[in-house]
Amino acid sequence: MIKIVITGIGTISAAGANLTETLDNFQDGKRNAGPVSLFPSTLPYPVFEVKNIPEKWRKDGMRTLSLALCAVEEALNDAELRHHLSGLRVGVCLGTTVASQLNDLDFYDTYRSMGEAPMDPVDRFLRGNLAGAVACIIKAQGPCLTVVNACSSGADAIGVALSWLKNGICDLVLAGGADELNHVPFCGFGSLGIMSESLCAPFDRDRMGLNLGEGAGILILETETFARQRGQKSQLYLAGYGSAADAYHLTAPRPDGAGLEAALQKALTEANITPQDICFVNAHGTATQDNDKVEGNVLARVFGPDIKIISTKGYTGHTLGAAGGLETAFTAVALLKGWIPASPGFENPDDEIPVMPLMEETSICGNYVVSTSLAFGGNNSALVIGNKA
Amino acid sequence: MNISGIGIIFTHGRGINKYDEALRQGWRKPSLIELPSVPNKQFPLYPVEEKTITDKGISGKTRRADKFSKMAVLAAMDALQDSDLKIDKKKFSLGIIVASAFGPHVTTFRFLDDILDYGEANVSPTLFSHSVHNAAASYIASVLDSQGPTITCTQFSLSFQQALILSKAWLHEGRCEYVLVGSVDECGTVMEYICSQKLKMAHDGKIKPFTFSARPWAVPGEGSVFFLVSRDKALKKYCQIEEITLGCQAIKEEDIDITILDADGIAGDESQYRNSLPTNAYIAGYAPIFGSMMTGSSFQCAAGALMIKNQIRYACPVQDNPYNVNICKVTKQAKMKKIQCIRYNCLNEKAVIMLQQ
Repeated sequence: MIKIVITGIGTISAAGANLTETLDNFQDGKRNAGPVSLFPSTLPYPVFEVKNIPEKWRKDGMRTLSLALCAVEEALNDAELRHHLSGLRVGVCLGTTVASQLNDLDFYDTYRSMGEAPMDPVDRFLRGNLAGAVACIIKAQGPCLTVVNACSSGADAIGVALSWLKNGICDLVLAGGADELNHVPFCGFGSLGIMSESLCAPFDRDRMGLNLGEGAGILILETETFARQRGQKSQLYLAGYGSAADAYHLTAPRPDGAGLEAALQKALTEANITPQDICFVNAHGTATQDNDKVEGNVLARVFGPDIKIISTKGYTGHTLGAAGGLETAFTAVALLKGWIPASPGFENPDDEIPVMPLMEETSICGNYVVSTSLAFGGNNSALVIGNKA
Repeated sequence: MNISGIGIIFTHGRGINKYDEALRQGWRKPSLIELPSVPNKQFPLYPVEEKTITDKGISGKTRRADKFSKMAVLAAMDALQDSDLKIDKKKFSLGIIVASAFGPHVTTFRFLDDILDYGEANVSPTLFSHSVHNAAASYIASVLDSQGPTITCTQFSLSFQQALILSKAWLHEGRCEYVLVGSVDECGTVMEYICSQKLKMAHDGKIKPFTFSARPWAVPGEGSVFFLVSRDKALKKYCQIEEITLGCQAIKEEDIDITILDADGIAGDESQYRNSLPTNAYIAGYAPIFGSMMTGSSFQCAAGALMIKNQIRYACPVQDNPYNVNICKVTKQAKMKKIQCIRYNCLNEKAVIMLQQ
């Protein structure tokens, strides 16, 4: 069986400009949220913004790409690949939501009022297909795909990468997700009534909704054979991916959670393990009423009520298309380091949710972990990561 | 990977038979529209009419859906129906892959209207939820009650080709037994305005695939095509998709009956297509039937599949041929075993879809 190893990880979010800083903040329980500063808004919802993007990756009007490039650089360095992509069959598969949409408010406002508008935002949009732009910058010569599956985009992009590698379509893939905090979805989520005016509290009885965030999470995935050929060793590997649709509603999760359960079962089957082999789950945990209730019940059903769970959205906010990438990265690192941080915001158990997130930093022992993602449109995805040690 | 069913929504109607009819009939004038932003000037467009996407059978489930989602749902539904496959007991074994260059941008702009007109606290949640790219895939899954994996992807000119590659991988791995893979794109007035600024619009209404121009003519179109594909040879109703190659990967060009050029004026310089002309095979290009679209390869692919199924060679709808290449001039019965469909993107990267009997 072809084993797909994780040889590099890069992350950027409000929780940290890189993985080391993020882990420090996890340990300190820091939650870097505040009012929106990236665009003018009167909406009362706190957000998790990335405060500093290095000058060299700042791209005017292409913040999602900038965030992605920060994480790509860290991941490539981690995999010792920075200057060695030439001649390799390198795929790029990235999830996003904002970067796929031509939703420039200034452009559209000008067009409406003047009957014409400068084409610069359109040109930026056409140059800014996330996977295409990253592939172009790092000169990757392999398959290239931008996944736009709403909030599971990053996780599904990693799942696509797994398929590419298992099918021999390429030898190595940069996979994950990136999204910027943008005015349009900020208004959109506000209109849905699922954003909290205080800091989010995933799985808590008194949860009031999500906080939006931004960031990027990138994994370098390669076949074990290829990694070995270039002298790389990695304990971590991507053991399984499962995806299933709710076929239920555009924004609400299916109440019985059948889609998520099917996704989990598929991922476990591909990994050739049982639910008892899983030592913790990094849950989607948005802190909305519906998501946490459905997800919590499914996790209890599949893994039992004592399964250790966290939601790192309390540190990053909901980063939409980046969430699956970031959370898979955090999950992998937790497995490697043997500890998971406290799940921020959680204080009071909810009688309707049979699982409880961890309230303090906890050691873990085991070889397999799961990261789940649920999305608008009823997408459910699960990724299983293994540790060979 | 075998094509078992095809569903299509395009400017001349709905269904694979309607498409066959349009291919036999040849070129028809596009609609002419006046943009609010450019008064006294008309622009050509191949629109999908509202009546084409009205289907009382599913109106309950799609009552809030926009044009983008409706086009995709109907094309996907028709592809499944065309295949005669019943998925009641296979709801987890059908995958859905939707490719789109621009997503539901008309709804996105309507949502921006809300923000600009009513303020950020008074926008429509329905418009927002329909403005995400994967709304169409969600509707397809819901209408078909399919709970298999679902992916929506966007890669501008090569979205459909990438979707096909993923379909093949999913089937090969056993992630699903069947995949509904297709494309959907729409053209609203803002996009038409952008096209008028970025492209050379064909004011005579003709896309000319064989002029190999650095500034080719375009007539924007919209629509959706879906294919039901599987590894099951017994379900091969049309043909098989033998290979999808990208970039500099080598392709075998032996025994090809027709090379379809997906040159439609939307991706810029088309001079590269001259380098892809086969020495013996016929050349064709059917974009003048459905219009210029980043995801037009799916429509070309449907034409190829029909030609293999029906053992017919469709005449090129527009035959301007300054380089005197070997184009199909008349529609006639012919042996059709192998057809390739070629697309270049704006970076001059080549993609080939190879169809085989």
